[in-house]
Amino acid sequence: MAALLPLAEVNVEAIAIFSVVVSITLAITYWASKRTTDATSFWAAGRGITGVQNGFAIAGDYMSAASFLGIAGLIFLFGFDGFLYSVGFLVAFLIVLYLLAERMRNAGKFTMADVFSFRLNERPARTAAALGTLVVAAFYLIAQMVGAGALIEALVGINFNLAVLITGIFMLTYVIFGGMLATTWVQIIKAVLLMTATIVLSLIVLGKVGFNPVELFNRAEAQADDPSAYLTPGLRFTEPVDTISLGLGLLLGTAGLPHILMRFFTVPDAKAARTSVVWAVGLIGTFYVMTTFLGFGARALLGEEGTTGNVDEAGNLAAPLLAQSVGGGEGSIGGDAFLAIIAAVAFATILAVVAGLVISASGAVAHDVWSNVVRKGRDSEHEEVYVARIAAGVIGAIAITIAIIGGSDLNVSYMVGLAFAVAASANFPALLLALTWRRFNTTGAVTGVLTGVVSSVGLVLLGPDVSSNPLELFGVSLTQPAIVSVPLGFLGCYLGTVLSREESRAERGFNELQVRAETGLGAEIPIEGAGLRAQAPKRKPVTAARDEG
Amino acid sequence: MAATTDRDSSSASGVDWDAAAKSPEFQELLRKRRSFVVPVLGFVFVWYFGFIALAGYAPDFMGESIYQGFTVGYLLALSQFVMTWFLGWLYLRQADRVFDPLARRAAERAVKPAGTAETVDRGEETS
Repeated sequence: MAALLPLAEVNVEAIAIFSVVVSITLAITYWASKRTTDATSFWAAGRGITGVQNGFAIAGDYMSAASFLGIAGLIFLFGFDGFLYSVGFLVAFLIVLYLLAERMRNAGKFTMADVFSFRLNERPARTAAALGTLVVAAFYLIAQMVGAGALIEALVGINFNLAVLITGIFMLTYVIFGGMLATTWVQIIKAVLLMTATIVLSLIVLGKVGFNPVELFNRAEAQADDPSAYLTPGLRFTEPVDTISLGLGLLLGTAGLPHILMRFFTVPDAKAARTSVVWAVGLIGTFYVMTTFLGFGARALLGEEGTTGNVDEAGNLAAPLLAQSVGGGEGSIGGDAFLAIIAAVAFATILAVVAGLVISASGAVAHDVWSNVVRKGRDSEHEEVYVARIAAGVIGAIAITIAIIGGSDLNVSYMVGLAFAVAASANFPALLLALTWRRFNTTGAVTGVLTGVVSSVGLVLLGPDVSSNPLELFGVSLTQPAIVSVPLGFLGCYLGTVLSREESRAERGFNELQVRAETGLGAEIPIEGAGLRAQAPKRKPVTAARDEG
Repeated sequence: MAATTDRDSSSASGVDWDAAAKSPEFQELLRKRRSFVVPVLGFVFVWYFGFIALAGYAPDFMGESIYQGFTVGYLLALSQFVMTWFLGWLYLRQADRVFDPLARRAAERAVKPAGTAETVDRGEETS
């Protein structure tokens, strides 16, 4: 039983299932490429995605392999503390729903920076927002690519570098040819596959304990290294301040993730935007409840064999090994088939997330930096999309290269944690204040984003995960920077604003931004028609009026 | 197509944004929204960070069994899930019933500052 996984040999069944999934996504990409002609279709899928579709796509964009395999693994290893991540990842969507989703849809166009540029000096504010986007996307993307390589190597038996390369090529094919439309459908398909696989596997696990979750808890507890501690907090996080810091980073980080915020530009109106968040919350919440059963199931049914020791310190293989075991065990037809299905689902999961990340990063480079900062809005739409495709290719190539050079030794979990910390400390404060604080100005946005990026990255570099002589704050060396870096991000926004001259344009622009963001005027209600024509227009299609200009 | 040109073209559409922001309809929308969002998010912060703080500072309490090994910690964690689902549903309900009609009136006032009764056509609403 020690060598549960076919670590060396190629898993033919898994590759066969991959091929089916990948063929479908490539067919969709071909279909989408015919419809991806201008900037609105490339970044926002022509704003034609419905609320329900977008809910599935958000779920597909959000639930990474780190959620699927990582959280099941963390619960397997650390019991209760693993579950803390699930709670934070889910509750975070209330911040998105109550503060951002509809406003982003109404006031933005393709990127987070569009919201800034309404009232702030375009070039510095856009550059700062693009920086925040790119830093988050870079850490998240590299973490996902390394995770992809390691998982595919373990599950399918192909070499790490080749696995990273294959992931990167598919990711770039979807984005470059199919734009947001292809990315969206890849995410929807992935969400359906992932939910189905997780629910089926959970039901099988629950069936083994007579559909009594409490029995599953008890059997998992009995199998733990330290049974008395397994269902109690503290196995992973020994410092309470660190736990709270993690909780803060997860709660506010989601609301600053550029690839999630970008999804709200793909729906026709604010109503679809808020509906999509609630669908996403239903799907993601159900998924996290199920991962609990997978993590505890792996502990209860496999015991210590739910991991392959030093090959898999993070517990990432707990769920696949569980699938193999309930399918009949290693070597059985059922066991191999289950393992292959989980491997294929994990691959689809990674592809959907990395595609979303690359398209949001391409928006920051092409729409923000190139089109509006370098070319000052004088470029053609054709040029903007052309640059976006090149940018996606370059970003993808850099991520592939770093993942291959860094290899499977890169610590994936701290990079994902870092992405959330930067999103919470740099992007979220500036975005929230741009939408709600009248006095906020360009200097505040720039200093806020910079303070957030520098403090969160700096604290991780000085922290115990990286530094051999970690910095101590509050008497502990923090692995999670958010409790310090989020307040610093807000402070940077505040000080930058009050210490610089008032910007009359920023305050005047605030009225326009606020009216647009709260009412949807100009986005779902066409201004030209309503304002200038003698009579109110007849049925106007619900599209962003500003895009038609 | 870039944001600058968008803004110019829409400003040219004749909407007086400052007047729109000061209109009683818009101010009422802001007030209604704030008086719903602020208390709800306040509750979310208290309930969520209360849970996280208990996990950090009171692990023994969280580990206490309520029913055959099902612990206080898991009960509180599940309550976070229920809270998220419930407050998501509540927001949709509030937006449909309160915010949308107010937003529509504020938008009408913005494009027809004189207060004539013509309705802004919002097109087909998707749901």
